[in-house]
Amino acid sequence: MHHSHLQIETTHQDRLIAGFAALAISIHLLESALPSPIPGIKPGLANLVTLYVLIRHGWRLAVNVSLLRVLAGSLLLGSFLSPTFSLSLAGAIASLTVLGVAWHIPGKPFGPVGLSILAALAHMTAQIVTAYLLFIPHTALFTLLPLLLTSALISGTLGGILVNRIIKRLDELTQHE
Amino acid sequence: MAGLTLWRNIIADFKLADKAVFLFSVSLIVTSFLYFWQTTPASYAMIKSPQHESLQVSLNKKQTYNIQGTLGISAIEVNQGKIRFVSSPCQNKFCIQHGWQQHHGDLTACLPNRISIQLADLNQTASYDAINF
Repeated sequence: MHHSHLQIETTHQDRLIAGFAALAISIHLLESALPSPIPGIKPGLANLVTLYVLIRHGWRLAVNVSLLRVLAGSLLLGSFLSPTFSLSLAGAIASLTVLGVAWHIPGKPFGPVGLSILAALAHMTAQIVTAYLLFIPHTALFTLLPLLLTSALISGTLGGILVNRIIKRLDELTQHE
Repeated sequence: MAGLTLWRNIIADFKLADKAVFLFSVSLIVTSFLYFWQTTPASYAMIKSPQHESLQVSLNKKQTYNIQGTLGISAIEVNQGKIRFVSSPCQNKFCIQHGWQQHHGDLTACLPNRISIQLADLNQTASYDAINF
């Protein structure tokens, strides 16, 4: 009897996406187990993977990794198609859009820190606007915006600094090989 | 000293555009605090009770309203753009302790007596205020 094997051809890019998405999903899951002092304030560590992939492998790969992370992360946490998922997706789309624009500016003026801050602010703004449009159409919601933007600026700056150091360290390591 | 050097290295890695983004964000946040944390006075209040689906009350006119609830009558006082529960037949009197309300978006209620007061300005559209899953 003849067995036919279904085989999907994978490219180097596919494997990079899978690997980084797996890393981002793991961080996403670990982070969801951390208690948050105020709803909406999270360090956003999974987004550091997106930023790293953007800088090292370009915007297209970053989009794939980030969206896969949101999708698979929500399936694993059981929040798929829930409000949490909508907010997560809106944040990811907004930050990817802003990163896409900032990344493709000729001369690449932004370093990891600038990119990270822009992405964090876009992420937070999109989430609160989505929450307002879909779940809590009350203007009092925007009272939280300044506080959430402050937390986004802090986590965005620290995240950018981290990614910058990770990239430098990895560069050193690959040079020594 | 090692910590200081570390920070100096970190700042040295900031590109000009990074610093610009940081400063822009700080000014954006300051603006958002000024804009979103200002309170606007309310122009009217909506009183909801078992008898009134929603009774619209102007806050400019000094007056006391006696509203029939499920337990009895709650007295609600309006004075100089503010509104409060003066008396209510409930047990804990949280509604009275909540005191004067005067800002757009404020909400106060006597739950045992099933009376709520929502303050709004004229452009406010009535809508549900949260969905819980």
